[in-house]
Amino acid sequence: MVFVKAQKTKAYFKRFQVKFKRRRAGKTDYRARIRLINQDKNKYNTPKYRFVVRFTNKNIIAQIVSASIAGDMVMAAAYAHELPRYGLEVGLTNYAAAYCTGLLLARRVLKMLEMDEEYQGNVEATGEDFSVEPAESRRPFRALLDVGLLRTTTGNRVFGALKGALDGGLDIPHSEKRFAGFKKDDKQLDAEAHRKYIFGDHVACYMRVSLMDDEPEKYQSHFSAYLKKGLEADDIEEMYKKVHAAIRADPMPVKSTKEPPKEHKRYNLKKLTYEERKAKLVERLNALNAAEPDDEEDDE
Amino acid sequence: MPAGHGVRSRTRDLFARPFRKKGYIPLTTYLRTYKIGDYVDVKVNGAVHKGMPHKFYHGRTGKVWNITKRAIGVEINKQVGNRIIRKRIHVRVEHVQPSRCSEEFCLRIKKNDQLKAEAKAHGEVISTKRQPEGPKPGFMVEGATLETVTPIPYDVVNDLKGGY
Repeated sequence: MVFVKAQKTKAYFKRFQVKFKRRRAGKTDYRARIRLINQDKNKYNTPKYRFVVRFTNKNIIAQIVSASIAGDMVMAAAYAHELPRYGLEVGLTNYAAAYCTGLLLARRVLKMLEMDEEYQGNVEATGEDFSVEPAESRRPFRALLDVGLLRTTTGNRVFGALKGALDGGLDIPHSEKRFAGFKKDDKQLDAEAHRKYIFGDHVACYMRVSLMDDEPEKYQSHFSAYLKKGLEADDIEEMYKKVHAAIRADPMPVKSTKEPPKEHKRYNLKKLTYEERKAKLVERLNALNAAEPDDEEDDE
Repeated sequence: MPAGHGVRSRTRDLFARPFRKKGYIPLTTYLRTYKIGDYVDVKVNGAVHKGMPHKFYHGRTGKVWNITKRAIGVEINKQVGNRIIRKRIHVRVEHVQPSRCSEEFCLRIKKNDQLKAEAKAHGEVISTKRQPEGPKPGFMVEGATLETVTPIPYDVVNDLKGGY
């Protein structure tokens, strides 16, 4: 083997300071987290809620979380895989699905806190910037958007979820600059364009283009799931309207019943507790004492 | 050049972060809540430059007298000349830790209250005062054998064997 000078010496490892575990995993942005969690000290134990939105390859996760020393407490959560229950079977990670998930979470939280009558939010999704008006008795539920490690570009799906939560009735400080349909040149949100995104019109347009004009085979391959459910480009908007109504009707989650997981055979030895180890030692010593009956054996 | 006497003079090591603990500070410091009347330790965190107390207060313990948005007002005793002044400083939460100086006391209060309540239920009178450790009780020495040691007469030949 060629002699190579060791790049990372023992000294390197001795002085190496690891980053926080979640930073090593690349999951948490601590700079943002500190600023989101920090509560004014003269507000004592008042919780500060974060509206957390995360996207995986096939799912959208929206949660209302408050931080504590023991760990973050999730008040309510909504997942895109719950949307089939409300009638949305395909396209579970697009802008429109993000809107639905945000809406579902907002209605869920308000129902949990019994504020859903007061704060209906925006029932007709128009795409314009809507902020909740404070009602007479209680102030609206306030949360702060937590995007995680996403790049916040205009038209990102996370702002679709934000719009869903706003229309659902949550009070989340925001600006319309990053909604889909904001024109940087006029510095104005084009409500019509935004509404198109909320109702999946961008998907429908693409379906029409690849179906009618360019490549019918591409249409078959890309939208095979839609075709299996019998969804055409024109049905999409109707479907989303129904989903929104269904969500507003019954936002509460359904508890799924799962059998307890199977017991697996243990392949390695189980680690003994301190008491068990000491007991074993005493047993061994007693056996030794019994075996050779010498005088003066202490049981230390 | 003469020595400077600025606010942070002679704090090179005092305010330095410990070995392999640089960078972002763990979030429990931000999540702790403090009430007026709590005891807190002041321990400067060199990573946060705002709201730092003067180096004199590093390692002192005081009572909280004020709470603002990001900082805590602490009342600390300082000896100035021939008297002790109660100084009131404001410190950001990153430089403050909850003090355990009164923890033992609080636990003892709780335990004593419980004991007193129990004694009252029984109708007996107990004293919950702490007693200092007294002298050890007397004991008999067991298994002692007597070995009389007498000096042996000096033997020149044997003793000089080593270094002659």
